[in-house]
Order: sequence, then C-alpha cells, then structure tokens
Amino acid sequence: MASPDKPINTDVPEKNAFALHFLQTLSNLRTQNPFNSPNKTNDRVTKIKKAAYVSMARAAGGTNRLWSRALLRRAAKEDNKIVRLRKKRVTWQRRRRNQRAPEVERLRKLVPGGGGMETSKLMEETAHYIKCLCMQVKVMQCLVDGLSPK
Amino acid sequence: MDPPLVNDSSFSAANPSSYTLSEIWPFPVNDAVRSGLRLAVNSGGAFSRSELVEHSGNKDISPAEESTVTDLTAGWGGRKTRDLNSEDDSSKMVSSSSSGNELKESGGKKRKICGSESGNGDGSMRPEGETSSGGGSKATEQKNKPEPPKDYIHVRARRGQATDRHSLAERARREKISEKMTALQDIIPGCNKIIGKALVLDEIINYIQSLQRQVEFLSMKLEVVNSGASTGPTIGGFPSGDLGILPIDVHRTIYEQQEANESRGSHPEWLHMQVDGNFNRTT
Repeated sequence: MASPDKPINTDVPEKNAFALHFLQTLSNLRTQNPFNSPNKTNDRVTKIKKAAYVSMARAAGGTNRLWSRALLRRAAKEDNKIVRLRKKRVTWQRRRRNQRAPEVERLRKLVPGGGGMETSKLMEETAHYIKCLCMQVKVMQCLVDGLSPK
Repeated sequence: MDPPLVNDSSFSAANPSSYTLSEIWPFPVNDAVRSGLRLAVNSGGAFSRSELVEHSGNKDISPAEESTVTDLTAGWGGRKTRDLNSEDDSSKMVSSSSSGNELKESGGKKRKICGSESGNGDGSMRPEGETSSGGGSKATEQKNKPEPPKDYIHVRARRGQATDRHSLAERARREKISEKMTALQDIIPGCNKIIGKALVLDEIINYIQSLQRQVEFLSMKLEVVNSGASTGPTIGGFPSGDLGILPIDVHRTIYEQQEANESRGSHPEWLHMQVDGNFNRTT
C-alpha cells in the first residue's frame, strides 16, 4: 500500500538538471585531462561513467532517495572525500536473511544502497532508479549525438 | 483483551439512552481506514465522513458535545504507531480507541468483506463496556487507550487464513510488496504479460543490467567524443572549466543539432545502437 503522502513514482526525473551537471563534469574532465594526455582510455571511461551516475543521483534529488544517497556516498568514498549527507531516515533492516528470495537478493545488489532496505522499499526505490536510468540513457544518447563530429 | 470501553463511557455520559447499535457502528470501515487516514466515528451518525476526518484532525472537540470522535488509526509500521501514541498524548479530550492490531491488516478487500462482521462483533461487545464503565471514569480509560484491543484481529482475516498477529503482519507485508511490484511492472516495457514473481524480478534485473550496460557504452562513446574530437561544431561552443556560463543554450544547441540530425537522417550506424533514442526535448 502506497501511503497517501508519498505516492510511488510521481516525481519525474530531472532531465535538465542531469544534463547540466553532466556537461559541467564533462567539461571539467576535459580541462583536467586533455585528449593528448597520457591517461588511459579506461580511466577516462570510468570517470565519465562515474560522472554520469553522480549527476543522475544529484538530479534525482540528492538526498531524497535512498539509492541516490548510496550512490553519492559511494562516489565520495571513492574520491576519499568526506561528504556529509543529512541524516534523513533510518532504514529499518529486517532480520530475515534466511527467507529471502534469490531474485530479490540479485536486485538488491543492483540497486545502490539496496542492501539495507526492506523489500517493499526496495521495490519503490527500484522503480525510481529505473526511471532515472532511462532518463540518463536518453540524455547521454542525446549528448553523444549532439557532440559527435559529423 | 480490552473491549472498546472508551467510546461507551463518553457516549453514556453524553446521552445514555439515545443510541442503538446501528447508530454506534454505522460507519464504513473500508474506505478511510484503507487509505491510511484516521477514521473518525461519530456516535450520533450526523456527520459525513469528511467532516469526521476533519474533526479528528482538529483535535479540540469538547467531550461535552454529543458527538464524541472515535479514532481508529490504521497505520503500517512503527512509524504510524508512534504517531498514534503522540496523538494520544496530545489529545486527551478526544476519546480514541487505538486499535493497534488493525495496523496489521492491509487489504481493503478484506475490510470490505469483514465490515459487517466487525460491526456485529464490536456491537456485541459494546454493552459490556457500557455496564462496566461509568460516565465519570473517562480519564482512567483513556490510559488504556494505547493498548490495542486484540479481538479485532479475528474478523480481519479471511476464512481459512491464519489469524495470529505474525501471520497478519506477514500478509500485510506481502501485499505491500506485491503492490509495489505491480507498480514496477508498469514501468518496465513488456513486463505486464509476465506471470510469476520470480520471472518478473528476473525481467526487472535484466532491464536494469541492460540500462547500466547502455550507460557504460554511452560513456565510452562520450569519452571518444569528449577527449578526441575537437572538430565538432558544438565543441567550440563548449565552455571548458567555467561553470558559471554553462547555460541552457548548450543543450539547446545540442537538441537542435540532434533534431537536425534526425531530420537529415544521416547518422553513422553506430549511433543507432540504442533502444528508442527519441529524446523528448524540453526546450
């Protein structure tokens, strides 16, 4: 049952916020590593991918969603930065590890921050995460199409 | 086991003789409780349901009024229960019987089914409460409010289902999960026809993995574009490093370019590898 104050999946993912933040990060990457720099390609790909995910998490409202919080926290941990997210809610962790379905466990590994969620919460977060991923893929496709030389 | 004495004391204090069972328990149990709202029950039956909800929100109904509001707070987890306790603390004026065991119940269907049954069951308990409680002992009974009357439970289960509170809680949890799963199924294209929870979850997992793979692939392409290509027309207008002047115009130009590309239809083949790349432009 979706509680009436928080209906499921009504918030549209912010395309413009994502695109803006992603373009900023891309331009930063471009100035930091010029294209003739000896950096490896894989490194740059990883950076761009991470920038895309971080931008998606930021555009999704930053700290409102559990998965975006987890993404930002993971990215900050990779950067060795200390990022303080406001403590918003405490995840109620169920102690039913032995009864969990294997598919749900696989889903838990895919959704960032899904390890500590209750299953219904996991479904809700997954729905929002999928929407944001779709938005991200479309915007990135658009960027590739727009920026590629013809 | 605590029968809902709370209502009866106030009722009998207000007008001891002017109610019948059908007046006490005429409220529709199904709709308002299902939606998580507080269902306020009027003893006189004179208010409509929306008025009742308003009154339960206001919390300053005087008990001398003939209509005493009964609060059946139906919630889900500990959070709602916490709300309930705080409400009980703040609103001593309103006699509210917090039926904590109803929290375990989820389905509106069951509630619809058992609505009449619950009415009968509680109505049969009601005279006991009236005889045991006088009009003046309201304060002592309001202390008993947070204790959930446990006899609500057996009318909430369907026939043949387990009725202890763990089973009810588990059933509520499962219904919640399946509802969220249905909402998830609507998002994923082509997932509506799949029957079976495991298959649906598999489909969801595959979809997420494919999306993540697409992101990886696109970031590879963007790496090529971003690092190598300096000849593109938009790259020249790409403000590098200065974050303040990255305007909407950048993606407007990008969108326009993509529009031009689509109209021209002369993409290289490797740009078409994504699924439905039609991006809804907002500018």
